[in-house]
Amino acid sequence: MSKILEIFERCLKKSKAEQTELVCEAEEFYLTRFADSVIHQNLGRKDHTIWCRAINGQKVGIASGNEVTEEAVDNLIKKANEISLCQRDNPLFPGLVKSPAAPEGRGFFKATAECSAEYRAGTIKEISDIAADKRLLVSGMYQTSRTELIVVNSKGTRQTGSATEAKISITAGDNDGRAGFAQAYSRDIGKIDFQGLAERAIGKARQEKEPIAIEPGEYSVILDPEAVADFLLFLGFLGFGGKSLSSKRSFMANKIGTQIMSDKISITEDPGNPEIGYIGFDFEGVPRRRVELVKNGIGMGVVNDSLYGSLNGTGSTGNALRPGNNFGPYPVAMVMEPGQKTTDQIIAESEKAIWITHFWYLNYLNPMNASVTGTTRDGTFLIENGKLAARVVDMRIAQSMLEAFNNVDDISSERRLVPKYGSLMYVPALKIRDFTFVSKE
Amino acid sequence: MTDINKLAAKALQKTFDLRASYADFRVVETRSQRLGYSDGKPEEVEESTDRGFGIRVIVDGAWGYCCSADLDEKEIIRVAQKAVEIAKASAVLKKTPVELAANGSYQESFISPHKIDPFTISLPEKLDFLSYIDELQGNNPGISGRDSFLDFRRTIKDFYNSEGTAIHQELIHSGLGLSVSAGAGRNRSTRSYPANEGAYECKGYELLDEFDFKVDIPIIAEQAVALLNAPTCPSKICDIVLDGSHMGLVIHESIGHPLELDRVFGSERNFSGASFAFPDNLDNLQYGSSIVNVTEDPTSPYGLGSFGFDDEGVKAHKVDLVKNGILVGYISSRETARKIGRTSSGSLIAEGWGNIPIVRMTNTNLQPGTLSFEELIGGIDDGLYLQTTSSWSIDDMRQNFQFGCEIGWLIEGGKLTTIVKNPSYGGNTIAFWNSCDGIGDISQWRIWGTPNCGKGQPGQNARTGQGAAPARFRQVKVGV
Repeated sequence: MSKILEIFERCLKKSKAEQTELVCEAEEFYLTRFADSVIHQNLGRKDHTIWCRAINGQKVGIASGNEVTEEAVDNLIKKANEISLCQRDNPLFPGLVKSPAAPEGRGFFKATAECSAEYRAGTIKEISDIAADKRLLVSGMYQTSRTELIVVNSKGTRQTGSATEAKISITAGDNDGRAGFAQAYSRDIGKIDFQGLAERAIGKARQEKEPIAIEPGEYSVILDPEAVADFLLFLGFLGFGGKSLSSKRSFMANKIGTQIMSDKISITEDPGNPEIGYIGFDFEGVPRRRVELVKNGIGMGVVNDSLYGSLNGTGSTGNALRPGNNFGPYPVAMVMEPGQKTTDQIIAESEKAIWITHFWYLNYLNPMNASVTGTTRDGTFLIENGKLAARVVDMRIAQSMLEAFNNVDDISSERRLVPKYGSLMYVPALKIRDFTFVSKE
Repeated sequence: MTDINKLAAKALQKTFDLRASYADFRVVETRSQRLGYSDGKPEEVEESTDRGFGIRVIVDGAWGYCCSADLDEKEIIRVAQKAVEIAKASAVLKKTPVELAANGSYQESFISPHKIDPFTISLPEKLDFLSYIDELQGNNPGISGRDSFLDFRRTIKDFYNSEGTAIHQELIHSGLGLSVSAGAGRNRSTRSYPANEGAYECKGYELLDEFDFKVDIPIIAEQAVALLNAPTCPSKICDIVLDGSHMGLVIHESIGHPLELDRVFGSERNFSGASFAFPDNLDNLQYGSSIVNVTEDPTSPYGLGSFGFDDEGVKAHKVDLVKNGILVGYISSRETARKIGRTSSGSLIAEGWGNIPIVRMTNTNLQPGTLSFEELIGGIDDGLYLQTTSSWSIDDMRQNFQFGCEIGWLIEGGKLTTIVKNPSYGGNTIAFWNSCDGIGDISQWRIWGTPNCGKGQPGQNARTGQGAAPARFRQVKVGV
């Protein structure tokens, strides 16, 4: 990292642009995939992407590459400057700023960074053996990786940080369609309970009851944290980012300060949460901030990068994505407040409910009321009189997520960390009434 | 001998020294440029170059893959050693050794046909074009939001394997697209052009000349405004006609993905899902009606999934997937094809150098039928015509789907009548394709590009093509 910083320092001084920003994201990434208890894909990757933003007036040019030499970085700056000089003014662009040093991250663990392919394979074999004892096969993936991020700019910002990730997901199943899913994530590989994880997936797949088909209609549901995270991720994209708010394409438009969901729900963007351990700054070098998104059901705010922070009048919350993206900022570290009861208690107190492990292929039906469709997957069960009564054939849902989060009856006391598409969510299970299923498969 | 030839020889020799029974070495360099306009303002322009290499090996009957951005001899030796180490770890959990279907040995080059290299067009000229599009979009006072983009990519691939193959390829992709929105808040409508993701082809800057923006943008702007006060799509069972671009999505989701042979064998069970189309269905499953003929064809001119060779050196060729409605083939790799006693369809593709190649659609083409658009519509007394994808979802076995479009028209007495908003429909893959009784003729057929097909872990984006004309389906549940 120090070598790259030195190159960046020298190159910044040579830049002919009025303002210059350099970002480097370096990774060492390993991922082992398995299916039917056989390792079928096994990857190692070492990469480093460098972005340069060159600014002249309000004209912005971006060039990126993955060669780390002084000459290559000089060329990137030159290219970005050329693009900038050809570009039209973007009157909204607020310019670069000097950011204060970010607090040191707590997300780097040597054991994760140095995990070997042999170790990953050994763990997968142990899981496979546990499943084999129950006459089940396992499919899934096991990732260990380290990331380093450097952001410098000509206004004086200097940020460096690093983090590791260990991530595993398992689908246990057989050829009769039984399936159970479980996943775990930690910055510290030593914190993952692999046996417990295997038992959770296998436990769901082992339910011996024959599957029944349930008629479409409205039911109470108990969503595992992974299913809650499926919804929350979509809500984050749709409504908790500064771009969608600014363009009034968000369900949060004109709703800040008003009740948008059940008063039982509180959601915070909390990158410093010890479970989440994000690198302490974003891709513009701005320290990540804690942001209340929903408090007791009231819409409180959204996350911003420098551009949308300027437009929305809040300043950046440290949520800039990689340079050049068109999505605008969105939350990447959402934490939902827990409830008082365990999931087992919630199930035991349910007269009739459908217990959902997670969803598959959610997609918008109507972004403005945050309604989505998709199907249940890898473990859907009918709960009757507080007990598991049947395995249920997967069903298609059509549901406004805002309505679902408005119809929350119970929140579990346990939470799980769920990684999805670059975001981390630390969420409990939810019991929700009047949840709409539109067809059985 | 070029530098890459020498490096390839070093890489392959090292893996051979370390007991690999098969190895390939792949170098990929990608240059891309994307420009956008949004509500009269230019978005940030990014130009990127990305280069690296990957080494794939079979050792002890199991796969290993390692890759790096640093293309030098020392790193190549490190990566070769690491790939072998990874393969040995994979062998801890194997049932049978990996075997590959036979493939020839090729020493060839392929450059995708194009008239104008988009990287020779200046940035100001491209920005002028987007500014012109933005102006056309803003001419209708009812329009409240407008977006447009241009997207260009050049990919240079060099592939070598331990069977003597050495291939050089250069592929040019061009994409363009725009959308207009009307209304605000909860009453907002959007129309996209030429399709919901734009138009993407394996072609040069000449792609821009194929569309009549001056005529078509006012039409979609008018439609966006009309949708604000249009009635909602009725809920009922009726006959439908789907436009060509949306048919591309339907083919992609309900024929392409279920026939990827790695899914069929469960490789994606934990993530992208599996398939209902098991090998015992081959040559006997009535996948669609007798007029449904689908091919997998990376040789299709200008398709976004076109190339000379796939990423394990299999020469591009056409394969029948569905013939006269019967399932007759799969989208496969050398490893998966071997499991059903066939040769590869030439469909093993990786996103860049940093990912393992996996089974992917190339160009999945529904062959054109015989009917004019008027005949397709004219054959319906009470139904719905749907245009431009807006929403899509299909279960992990690829059977139960629900798709939505930006705009629909009621069909009454064989004519298009009232515009309806939020049209959607759902059904079961096999029943749906067996209800197909009309496909548009060749004059309406086009290969629609999908620039962002997600699959695999870590997630990979593939670029695929879907050849389609409008098609008619009977007794479908709409307004779901």
